[in-house]
Amino acid sequence: MTRRQSFLLAALIALLIVTAKPQPVPAQTRVSVGVTETMETFNPYGDSVSLLYGIWCQVMGCLGTYDFDKGDYAGMLADRWEVKDPNTWIFYLRKDIRWHDGSPFTADDVVHSFNRVRSDPQSKQTQNIAPIASASAVDKYTVRFTTKKPTAPLLEYLFDRLIITNKAIYEKHGAEADRKFPIGAGPYKFKELIPGQRFVITKNLDYPGMKNLKQAPDEIVYRVMREDEQRVTALLNGEIQIAQFIPPHLRKRVESDSNAKATTVDAVEIMFLAMQPKPPFDKKEVRQAVCHAIDRDRIINTLLQGLAARLDGPIGPGQYGYDPNLKPKYDYNPEKARKLLAQAGYPNGVDVELQTPVGRYTLDKQINEAIAQMLNAAGFRAKLLTPEWATLWANVQAGKTPFYYMGRGSIVDPSVALSQYFETGGSPRIGYSNPKFDALLATERQTFEPAKRRKVLSEAMSLLTDDAPACFMWRHKMIYGMAKQIDYKPTPSGRIFGEDIRVLR
Amino acid sequence: MTLYLLQRLFGTLPVLLLITLLVFVLLHVAPGDPVTMLLGQDTTAADLAEAKKRWGLDQPVHVQYVKFVLSAAAGDLGKSFRFSAPVREVIAQRLPATIELAIFSILIAVALAVPLGVWSGSRPNSWIDNLGTSFGLFGISMPNFWLGIMLILLFAGTFHVLPSAGRSTYGVAGPSQTGFYFLDSLLQRNWPALKDALLHVALPAVALGTNMIGILMRVTRSSVLETTSEEYVVTARAKGLGEQSVLWRHVFSNALVPIVTVVGLEVGTLLSGSIIVETVFAWPGIGSLLITGVSARDYPLVTGLVLMYTLAFVTINLIIDALYAFIDPRIRY
Repeated sequence: MTRRQSFLLAALIALLIVTAKPQPVPAQTRVSVGVTETMETFNPYGDSVSLLYGIWCQVMGCLGTYDFDKGDYAGMLADRWEVKDPNTWIFYLRKDIRWHDGSPFTADDVVHSFNRVRSDPQSKQTQNIAPIASASAVDKYTVRFTTKKPTAPLLEYLFDRLIITNKAIYEKHGAEADRKFPIGAGPYKFKELIPGQRFVITKNLDYPGMKNLKQAPDEIVYRVMREDEQRVTALLNGEIQIAQFIPPHLRKRVESDSNAKATTVDAVEIMFLAMQPKPPFDKKEVRQAVCHAIDRDRIINTLLQGLAARLDGPIGPGQYGYDPNLKPKYDYNPEKARKLLAQAGYPNGVDVELQTPVGRYTLDKQINEAIAQMLNAAGFRAKLLTPEWATLWANVQAGKTPFYYMGRGSIVDPSVALSQYFETGGSPRIGYSNPKFDALLATERQTFEPAKRRKVLSEAMSLLTDDAPACFMWRHKMIYGMAKQIDYKPTPSGRIFGEDIRVLR
Repeated sequence: MTLYLLQRLFGTLPVLLLITLLVFVLLHVAPGDPVTMLLGQDTTAADLAEAKKRWGLDQPVHVQYVKFVLSAAAGDLGKSFRFSAPVREVIAQRLPATIELAIFSILIAVALAVPLGVWSGSRPNSWIDNLGTSFGLFGISMPNFWLGIMLILLFAGTFHVLPSAGRSTYGVAGPSQTGFYFLDSLLQRNWPALKDALLHVALPAVALGTNMIGILMRVTRSSVLETTSEEYVVTARAKGLGEQSVLWRHVFSNALVPIVTVVGLEVGTLLSGSIIVETVFAWPGIGSLLITGVSARDYPLVTGLVLMYTLAFVTINLIIDALYAFIDPRIRY
């Protein structure tokens, strides 16, 4: 045996002794979350669903997020921001952030991410940067965004949406970077992604403040479970600790189990009945008649078992610009509906075809069966159609569906959604056009002073409620099931951040 | 024989072409396209048009089809919109899950149905025959998604003895080498992972296989019944052979042809049945992949999958035909 060999042998034995010695392993906490959306791609820009925005925000990083408790935007990778002039936004980045491989996070990464959203062939997120003309690095920790036209609700586009990825790694490895080097800068690290099955992330103790979040889970496993029954059963079986979106009729099963509990949260998704201004809905009276014909409270109290909050305008409490004094309010009044119909020239009723997706929103079909009956009781002759989602959605987007039940999610600041559905040229989905409303929206977008902007928004929403191109129905309360040892307050947006979860030991 | 097989293989080409054409046209005629389905709710019309152009969906359908056929002939099935990855890769990654599930279903079905069928057929109208026949009827008429949900409720929900969904518990198995969890855990001698994989496959395999148990059991029974009345069986008995020997050597081996035919046909049904069962059990195979693909209007992925399903059907039928020659020496090609 040469000296070298014996040295190696000694080293090997030493190593064996060291590794064989039982090491004190700190108890790792793992929380499995049963989610309804599926993750299919390693590309952070390759999807446009809220769940994945939330996961990538934690792993890669986001400039900021909306803090629902404070009712305001909060920075993540951005420390603070300011509007230099109506078309120039400056974001000052945190200086204490490092990528998971140790390299510093800088303004160049933000600019790179913006460019990737725009030019990545797989990008499904171009809509998030639509109002922005260009991005540039002012210095190492300062980024400037130039908008195409003044856009007061810009943070609605960027926060929780613009995923920040590493420039150096992408330049070195190209498209392979996503799969092979999923290195982020966020509070959690990428561990494993099996498309269609699960996404696993682990706590990043180097992220500022994470060391102190001792109760945040060390590991989170997002498991795809699309069937409602399945998530509830898995929760009660101990396979998962948090179950997303439990339908009202299964809530009792969760609550009656001694190891589980349920909690609710008002979703930011607003539900509405859209009416294209074509006969008979070209007459304002007919649209208002629809709104008066539907007993929203009864639907909420019976079908939805109280698990929805009625909307008296486009948005509700907690959303930006909500005004409780918005007028007019539509009470349930079938007599008035009849009168309005007669005024519009339909004393003997009128045929309408209502369309709804099935299984996409809570109890959508049952709710619309009730709505159709209520419409009939108020002088309409309503027929209910239930096309497959892809068909319905494509037709709605093409402006081919005159009367439908739909939701619009991820509304924190309503400006973007209002413009998309109701501004002239916003989209063909409703095809509504009202110069007064357009003018109000245009003013609101250029008004950067919050109090003034809220006032203009409120005026716009009041006008919209009165003119009724849509009847605003309610926001669902989403039910989350969780194991007893978990303390988690779900967010209205449906994102599930590890920092919000506490594992009680 | 070789010539026959080659002829058969060659004959499938027009079938494949026709089926892809059908799927392609159907998908494009149906409202909705990958762009509208995959981009967010907040997408503007301009974004939609831009993405359509970027993904080549602005071209006429026939141009898209010819492009697809040409590249498919060269072995390239295109790129999935939903997964941002080559279709072949996406399917290859999901295929082991479905094959694993199918194998276990067939194993369960054959192990249960064949002995039960032979037994019932050899003792018609006995209590065991009545029991077996009722069980077979139950298997045939039970919709597998309903059975699946009931199994989940019972074994995962009430008794808490089996997992309700998925292929494995996270953290138990090592890195996958073959894609087959069962095989992986054997190769790595990871016994907890083997147990975990078996526990996970149990419920979906039963849900998927029950239908086959019913059909197979009944076919075996009638085939055995028919063979029992053949003259050579009477002769065998007359020679003084033992009952067991008569049953297995003379009756069963001659009753095997229809049984193998049914197993072959049922493998096809199994593949299509897995689409539903996989969804119920969140089983990440090609069945649930097809659902994902269709609801996202992922043209390349769905066409690729249908192509694969067709190939699987054709191959299975071919294998069964080839098997006949081995089972029954009278059959020649």
